[in-house]
Amino acid sequence: MADLTTVRLPRLPGDLRDLPRTSPLRKPLVDGDKALTDVTNDIARPMEGRPTRLWYAGMAISSTMLIIGFAAIGYQVLTGIGTWGLNPTVGWAFDITNFVFWIGIGHAGTLISAVLFLFRQRWRTSVNRSAEAMTLFAVMCAALFPLIHMGRPWLAHWPLPLPNTRGSLWVNWRSPLLWDVFAITTYFIISATFWYIGLLPDFATLRDRFKGLKKRIFGILSFGWTGSSRTWMRYELVYLLLAGLATPLVFSVHTIVSFDFATSVIPGWHTTIFPPYFVAGAIFSGLSMVLTLMLIARKVMRLEDYITRRHVESMCKLIIGTGGIVALAYMTEFFIALYSGNPYERFTFMNRAMGPFAWAYWIMVICNIVTPQLFWSRKLRTNLLVVFIASLFINLGMWFERFTIIVTSLHRDYLPSSWADYTPTSIELLTLMGSFGLFFTLFLVFCRFLPVIAISEVKGVLRYGRSEAPTPKKEVTP
Amino acid sequence: MSKRQDPSGRSPSAPAKAFDEVRGEGPWPSAASRRDFLKLAGFSFAALALPGCGRAEEHRAIPFLDKPEAVTPGRASWFATMCSGCEAGCGILGKFRDGRPVKIEGNAQHPLSAGGVCAVGQAGVLSLYDAQRLGAPRAGGTETTWENVDAAIRERLAAVGAGGVRVLSGTRNGPTSEAAIREFLAAFSNGRHVSYDAVSSSALLDAHAALFGRRMLPHFRFERARVIASFDADFLGTWISPVEFTRGYRAGRSLADGGARFSRHYQFESRLSLTGCSADRRVAFAPGAHGAALSNLAVLLAKKAGRTRPWAPVDDAGVPGEALEDLADALWSAPRGETLVVCGTNRVDDQKVAAWINHLLGNYGDTQSVKTIDIQQPSRQRMGDDRALATLRREIADGKVAALITVGCNPVYDLPDGAGLVKDLEKVGLVVSCASHMDETASAAHYVCPDHHTLESWNDAEPLEGMVSVSQPLVRPLRKTRAFIESLAAWRGKPQSAYDQMRRVWKRSVFKRQADHASFDRFWNAAVHDGFASLAPQEGDLPRFHHDRVGPAKGPAAAGGDALSLVLYPKIAMGDGRHAHNPWLHELPDPVSKVAWDNYAALSPATAARLQVETGDVVVLEAGGRSLELPALVQPGQHASAVAVALGYGRVGTDRFHAVGPQWIEGEPTVEKGGQVGINAAAFLHVADGRLSYDTVRVAVRKTHRRHELARTQLYDSLHVPKHLAKPGEHARPIAQEATLDAWRNNPSAGGHAAHAFKELWPDDHKYTGHHWHMAIDLTACTGCSACVISCQAENNVPVVGKDETRRKRDMSWIRIDRYYDGDGEDVDVIHQPMLCQHCDNAPCESVCPVLATVHSSEGLNQQVYNRCVGTRYCSNNCPYKTRKFNWFSYAHDDTFQNMVLNPDVAVRSRGVMEKCSFCVQRIQEAKFEAKRLGRELADGDIRPACMQSCPADAIRFGDGNDKESLVARQRGDPRGYRVLAELDVRPSVTYLRRIRNRKEHAKGEVSHG
Repeated sequence: MADLTTVRLPRLPGDLRDLPRTSPLRKPLVDGDKALTDVTNDIARPMEGRPTRLWYAGMAISSTMLIIGFAAIGYQVLTGIGTWGLNPTVGWAFDITNFVFWIGIGHAGTLISAVLFLFRQRWRTSVNRSAEAMTLFAVMCAALFPLIHMGRPWLAHWPLPLPNTRGSLWVNWRSPLLWDVFAITTYFIISATFWYIGLLPDFATLRDRFKGLKKRIFGILSFGWTGSSRTWMRYELVYLLLAGLATPLVFSVHTIVSFDFATSVIPGWHTTIFPPYFVAGAIFSGLSMVLTLMLIARKVMRLEDYITRRHVESMCKLIIGTGGIVALAYMTEFFIALYSGNPYERFTFMNRAMGPFAWAYWIMVICNIVTPQLFWSRKLRTNLLVVFIASLFINLGMWFERFTIIVTSLHRDYLPSSWADYTPTSIELLTLMGSFGLFFTLFLVFCRFLPVIAISEVKGVLRYGRSEAPTPKKEVTP
Repeated sequence: MSKRQDPSGRSPSAPAKAFDEVRGEGPWPSAASRRDFLKLAGFSFAALALPGCGRAEEHRAIPFLDKPEAVTPGRASWFATMCSGCEAGCGILGKFRDGRPVKIEGNAQHPLSAGGVCAVGQAGVLSLYDAQRLGAPRAGGTETTWENVDAAIRERLAAVGAGGVRVLSGTRNGPTSEAAIREFLAAFSNGRHVSYDAVSSSALLDAHAALFGRRMLPHFRFERARVIASFDADFLGTWISPVEFTRGYRAGRSLADGGARFSRHYQFESRLSLTGCSADRRVAFAPGAHGAALSNLAVLLAKKAGRTRPWAPVDDAGVPGEALEDLADALWSAPRGETLVVCGTNRVDDQKVAAWINHLLGNYGDTQSVKTIDIQQPSRQRMGDDRALATLRREIADGKVAALITVGCNPVYDLPDGAGLVKDLEKVGLVVSCASHMDETASAAHYVCPDHHTLESWNDAEPLEGMVSVSQPLVRPLRKTRAFIESLAAWRGKPQSAYDQMRRVWKRSVFKRQADHASFDRFWNAAVHDGFASLAPQEGDLPRFHHDRVGPAKGPAAAGGDALSLVLYPKIAMGDGRHAHNPWLHELPDPVSKVAWDNYAALSPATAARLQVETGDVVVLEAGGRSLELPALVQPGQHASAVAVALGYGRVGTDRFHAVGPQWIEGEPTVEKGGQVGINAAAFLHVADGRLSYDTVRVAVRKTHRRHELARTQLYDSLHVPKHLAKPGEHARPIAQEATLDAWRNNPSAGGHAAHAFKELWPDDHKYTGHHWHMAIDLTACTGCSACVISCQAENNVPVVGKDETRRKRDMSWIRIDRYYDGDGEDVDVIHQPMLCQHCDNAPCESVCPVLATVHSSEGLNQQVYNRCVGTRYCSNNCPYKTRKFNWFSYAHDDTFQNMVLNPDVAVRSRGVMEKCSFCVQRIQEAKFEAKRLGRELADGDIRPACMQSCPADAIRFGDGNDKESLVARQRGDPRGYRVLAELDVRPSVTYLRRIRNRKEHAKGEVSHG
């Protein structure tokens, strides 16, 4: 790719150069006083040399998890869904918990890439690529569960409105599960497109660096990118439009997922607060997962200069905000249950807090309400070890939030005669593990073969070449 | 022709084009013999009577043009016959479809059962297709031919000489079997027939022998009683003739005319029986306190009658004084002859006092009177004589028996010292067992000569004097078995078919006792067609009561302090254990404990707390040097000093259920290889005063640290939510509603829960212009007996899933009996509520299915489309009643022989699909076709779903809610009716009628707000 400094670019809405000049007091977004070539070299490095030992170790662990998990899924598909610990009362448990959990994880990618883009948050450039990749992988993990949770997964195409020869046999447009099918497919397609479009300039950069087969592959992937002004102009327009298109999805997908519960008659599910509650929870959990991954990736891929404490801090602040919404939702929900005078509803919430699954409820409350409060302290939110551990706790808490909503609502419903217990089987635990294996395997493959940071975008936020930029002091990274 | 007209009036031989297409092979390849017996299934009597016909191999479908007589493909015929599940002799109709019996239903014309059949009776059809039923006689454990066996037995019998020949049987009351046994024994100088009942009522007969001079079982008429007092007699569950008694009990609790004839029922018992659950006043007392309680009741009544005190009141701490006074008041204030006191113990003293009380209250009478105990036509449903059995047992031990033939009983299993009996049987020169399985006794016998299944054989019974039931075969014997009476005839050297023997005996003795028919053939045909014959009652004076032969019954000393007594009882499904090879019955949850597949030591909550035992902990019961390990069950309502253990478990051969249910890595076998389902508690039976005693052994209970998870289908027992999660003063959930009789009289909707009135948003949507199917279930009538559960299982091909799946709450029954306790400790109110798909008009399940696999019909049915279902289970999650059942695995239908029981009208569901109650849509369609064929309107009562058909209490009604004259529409409008969870606006099609308790105080579960 031609050196950016020599190219005059047209100014389009959203051009980063239109942004107000940064205050000299602000800390730089990228450390290490990088030149443009340094950026390309740093980010392309993992794709060129041999991977680090840490990468191999991570790959070994995650692919083992993947293989074992998929063996468990294979066993379940061959033997029957009865290999899960479900019963007629608790018809969903790990399956839909995992589904909602992964869908939630996927939300941060779109939030960072689209919403923050529209809001001109320049710090997003270092993390948006991997957050988007994370979104895609998380949606893939999520989509796995509705497929395998079916009694007859080989008929998984039936919920699609495919033309058929069975007369007027059609899908049920009233079913929230059908809405899910559309919401998730749309979300996946838009996210994948957005991600791919963002990769185009970087593919071209890589094409220009590599030789032989790699060059040909990246050549095809880059769609003949020339780096001309016209290319850049169209690219940025498309990117902006896609960002606009993806933004509503951040809200729609989890709203529709929440309809699975909100439109039902089960106390604890039948709640109008669910759409905003679920969206806030999804962003909350997604951000914490981004944090988890970023903190690993910067270490494993040696990207400490690009993913800095500033990025981490910004995300911690977002977590405080969304965590606050989640906490408010928990309290509202409980208050309404007690205040409503509906004995079934009231009991469901008492049962959540003090019944057989109270431990899950309190894990959820402690992880999701107490943990984010640590981030009010600047000292703590810049301590990367603390942030890493806290992000794991939030991930755990958000998983238990979905478990609490699904299992504790179902297991004590209307007729006491049908009350039941639920214990996961080994197959379910292995399947959950397998979904993490899938997620991390895909992520590590991504780290190895694709640029984890948007090269072209990072170059745009460098101080390099800006006359007003003082030479920053090199920050020591842990 | 013995073919019976279907109650709906259709003739079975008429062609039915509607079902022609339902031909061809079933879903699974059946055994080669499937078509074999078709040839003769047309029931020419002669063909059936011919033993040993060759079997032609045929693999064709039934040719429609040249079809066997009376077999129309796809069309069922019904034959009246007799139930052999127990000795009660209920009349049944066998459904014969495509050459095989597939269902048992009640015979509505039968004088005793009047259309009801219990769970055990219904399950009988499965036993017919039991692959482990013996298929040939055995000599010394190896299969042989009948010729060999007969020759060997005849030879040995010829050598008996003056040695004792004994036929040991369960109650055999049929004229033909009695005659056959008599004729057989007549050939020997020392022959005797001994009968006993594994769950014995011998003392009841012996007491009447002493007091009336005639050994008889009085015929109890519960429908005539205004006050019923039962001392441990579980007459709605297992005692003598539960179907008949349930029907009578129900008839005597009518709410017509303001409940003027609504009986009041007192139950005194030490464990919580099914009958106790229905009682208006239930008193838990110590095991063995019956005698003292009855004696004191007699004293109280004598005082009211102005008689001299018959004896001094017994001073015993175990006897509830106030309750007895209440009972005495109720008994005395009712009209003479219209009360009934029954006692379930096997102690003559207790029974004598009960009889004395009944006599004092004028309850003994003849058939025509209004009196509650008929001794003109006494019952013959229990004829066992424990003392004769004890004598026989001594004779066997002393080596005085040369030949022993057992039939319809399993003494090695039933009697306390089974191992000792096996040893003593070595002293008997010839032991022949006519058991149909290699059971405990058959294993100790020299020869095993398997008897037919009842649906394969001619037989008769006389359950009531003057009421003879006929059993006719519905199918040619599936295996090389032989009727017991044919065996006897062969052994005495005069072989004769069962059919001929029966005709001969009937011509000689039964025909004479009737006056309705002039010719024997007409009488015979009518009897075979109807399934029974009513004979003229015997004339003459009733036997006289001898007052002087009664004394106070003390019974065993009541347990004091923390001492525990063992109570052995038969469970509803398993009874005395003779049906232990029937998986339907093993998987039927006990209606009180809701436990399937096991027996257990039931402990009262207080005792369990004292011993620090929880449900599922393994405990050791020790008494008299014997010990048993059983899982414990905490049973509210039980007396603190009682430990109740069910008989009938731990049968040899039940390890056949090892592989029942899915096999997967975390799946546990229903029973270990070589193990048994449950534990045999017969070792704790003991013989007192020559009779089997069930409730007095002192036991020590010791806790172990092992667990045995019981397969319970209901884990939470109350309509009150747990206290620590409830709002102070929170009411019970208004799911199963009840009211007292007085409250109901004042306000017919008493006990109700004001539901919100919903505004109809789319009043023109779904108008149901044709039929609109509704069901009504009367909780006042329902006793929880669970007959409907097995009836549904048989009708709808509901699979058996095994203990582990049941433990995971994945039992598949489409209708379940919910049981709720109110209160804890010894004093609990119990309410049963059958729960099935409510066919909501605004069904939450329908809107959530992504693929439209569950949809609403134009007649208000919620329909499940199995082949469209992908198995998301969303419908089940969203069902407020949780009545949907999911096929978690491919539940095995790989026993092709057993698959012959499958109803061809109902699809067998595959793995991964949801299923649920269909309101027996196949019966609805059949009735509609039939009405159309006959060119008439569908009448109320034409459609009877399986659950409704067999309900002995008539608690279930089904019909067209759009027909305002239909019974169900009227019940739907009854102020006593309510719809469960109507407040969700799901608009269920099932109406429940509130339970009415005849008691003065406020019913505990009654919801007072509104």
